[in-house]
Amino acid sequence: MKLDVIPIHVANQPPGEPGLSGNAPPLLREVVEQVRRLIESGEPSAIDLSALPLTPADLDWLQEKLGAGEIAVTLQASGESTLNETACPGVWWVTHRNEQGAVNSQFIEVAFVPELVKAHPQDVALGLETLEFMIADRQGDAD
Amino acid sequence: MQGPLIDTLARQGVSRRTFLKYCATLASMMALPPAAGLAMAEAMAAARRPSVIWLPFQECTGCTESFTRSHSPTLEGMIFDMISLDYQETLMAAAGHQAEAARHTAMRDNAGKYLLVIDGSIPLDQDGAYSCIGGRSNLDILKEAAEGAAAIIAMGTCASYGGIPKANPNPTGAVSVSDIIKDKPIVNIPGCPPIPVVMTGVLAHYLTFGSLPELDAKGRPKAFYGETIHDRCYRRPFYDQGKFAKTFDDEGARRGWCLFELGCKGPVTYNACATVKWNGGTSWPVESGHGCLGCSEPDFWDAGGFYKALSLPADPLKFAAAAAVVGTGAGVAIGFANRSKKGGAKSAHETTTLDDLEA
Amino acid sequence: MNELQFLTWVRGTGLNIAVAIFLLGVTWRLFEIYSLGRKKDLSMPRHASGASGFHTVFRRSLAPPGMLKRSPVSYIGGYVFHIGLAVVVFGFAPHILLISNLTGLSWPGLPSQFIDLAAVVTMAAMLVMLFDRISKPVKRFLSTFEDWFTWALTFLPVLTGWMAVQHLLLPYTTMLALHILSVEILLIVLPFTKLFHAFTLFGSRWYNGRVNAHKGVPV
Repeated sequence: MKLDVIPIHVANQPPGEPGLSGNAPPLLREVVEQVRRLIESGEPSAIDLSALPLTPADLDWLQEKLGAGEIAVTLQASGESTLNETACPGVWWVTHRNEQGAVNSQFIEVAFVPELVKAHPQDVALGLETLEFMIADRQGDAD
Repeated sequence: MQGPLIDTLARQGVSRRTFLKYCATLASMMALPPAAGLAMAEAMAAARRPSVIWLPFQECTGCTESFTRSHSPTLEGMIFDMISLDYQETLMAAAGHQAEAARHTAMRDNAGKYLLVIDGSIPLDQDGAYSCIGGRSNLDILKEAAEGAAAIIAMGTCASYGGIPKANPNPTGAVSVSDIIKDKPIVNIPGCPPIPVVMTGVLAHYLTFGSLPELDAKGRPKAFYGETIHDRCYRRPFYDQGKFAKTFDDEGARRGWCLFELGCKGPVTYNACATVKWNGGTSWPVESGHGCLGCSEPDFWDAGGFYKALSLPADPLKFAAAAAVVGTGAGVAIGFANRSKKGGAKSAHETTTLDDLEA
Repeated sequence: MNELQFLTWVRGTGLNIAVAIFLLGVTWRLFEIYSLGRKKDLSMPRHASGASGFHTVFRRSLAPPGMLKRSPVSYIGGYVFHIGLAVVVFGFAPHILLISNLTGLSWPGLPSQFIDLAAVVTMAAMLVMLFDRISKPVKRFLSTFEDWFTWALTFLPVLTGWMAVQHLLLPYTTMLALHILSVEILLIVLPFTKLFHAFTLFGSRWYNGRVNAHKGVPV
């Protein structure tokens, strides 16, 4: 039996999808504040977009206003995450997805480099160990 | 196996970035500021895992199932990596006297520091004989284990509020953890079963800040139980438009209209199902077409029926007909009394004649 | 008792008691009043056009000439809050569901935003009328405890219902329970106070109209 035989047409999004709520424009001002703080004190900050009453149209509007920058980072860590720089350097649009591709959380991050992109010193140390091990291994082979 | 959590995770192939990402989402779900995600990740990564003793009382193991079968085993299952689970009957390999010995060892070694997780209600009737483990009543075991606990987490509606065992007529005299233990901090995580991420959130908060999250008047973490199902429901606009499904298979039900008239308890139920959803965000009861049962509220089982709308009488109006008959009877009786009074006044009436006036 | 138990009680036992007392009071008083009867008027009936019980029932719903100007608050406010009450009570979907469950009668509901507006307008009209009653010396002099009491009992269900929907002050569950409780108190008190005019209004108008029609006076 095909699915369309079942007479169900579920409206997940109610008809007349909510448009702009007017909550997005004030966020731009907050981003301006955060960028200013980043320049002055180097302190990074973030806005949790899933914690705010924003409609899908609001998010589209924001994303369109901020535009796309030169760097787009994709992170594969139990689902895909994208950390994309916007047209305003230092402002990043961060989206975390789960394995099924559904958005888990969404942030606007204001930082020179998002925290998640940086490698942690402990992990770097582990990498160094691996490298040294590799060299030792090669030398062992050469001898 | 004691050591920083991040090492345990690394051994299981969970990278630091995966963990950071998870903490960012967790902080967002708990309505904490974005910076808290990082703080959580740092604190938890380095934390010494707290000892947890998990006691099952009058329960169905559904709460344990909810966690162990949660959708992303590496992440939701992280609660089992965040803690040192020293006693859990369903999951532990030991049995019988060995299991009891393990509990006593954990309680002695971590006195005053361990977290106590309880699922199931505690029966008090017949001296607690309705539910015993190793020949001891649940009440006895709970009191002993609570003694040295830093905090208690009541998992599920049974431990939080008595739940189904407490449903009318409550044959076993079941009560909740907070009915018995008064001198320890208690977090209630109600739900039948509760949402797995709530447990993770509470533990993450405890590990990061060393305290339990902010609770509401019913002892539930506000971050997850702060709003009603109804207020966050994607079908809410239909309620406002007055569009309701009248049966489970009519046109309204197919169009995904509001389920209020089919008995949905969303308006009086505080839980996070509408936002967190179930099974890795696949769906949740209302999305599947069935109204909310109100399972995270005390005594939801006795709240007038799952399929009866909230604005309907919880019980049939038993006295209505009798009252109407009695009222009619009283009205008629008083009517007759008034008539006889009138008749009496009429017969007692004396006509005034001209002679009377002249006299 | 927690709030869900409170809500279940007002939906169950509380409603049961309130409806029983309401029905008892209403049947009692209706039978008592209408079985009183009246003395037969032996005079010749006079005829004047427009003089009848039926006419009076409708005519008394309109302000007599000049009165609308003399006490606009009483007439306009009275109209607004009575119509507003009817809209809120009979237009809100959960109310209709209750009525259809009890009586089998059903009709389509109004959008909740409209109900919300009607509730606010109703409360505003009632507050204006209360203020008028307090500030006008004559009205205040004529007011008894019953007037203040019945005003409060009528106002509370609207206020608590609106507050429940708007999530004000208390959690929705508690507010909803208080709303239902306030309606139950109203139901219990209604048959024994001036609120009984909801039942006797048209009967007494018709009676007055008939007596006057007998005398040939259209009022």
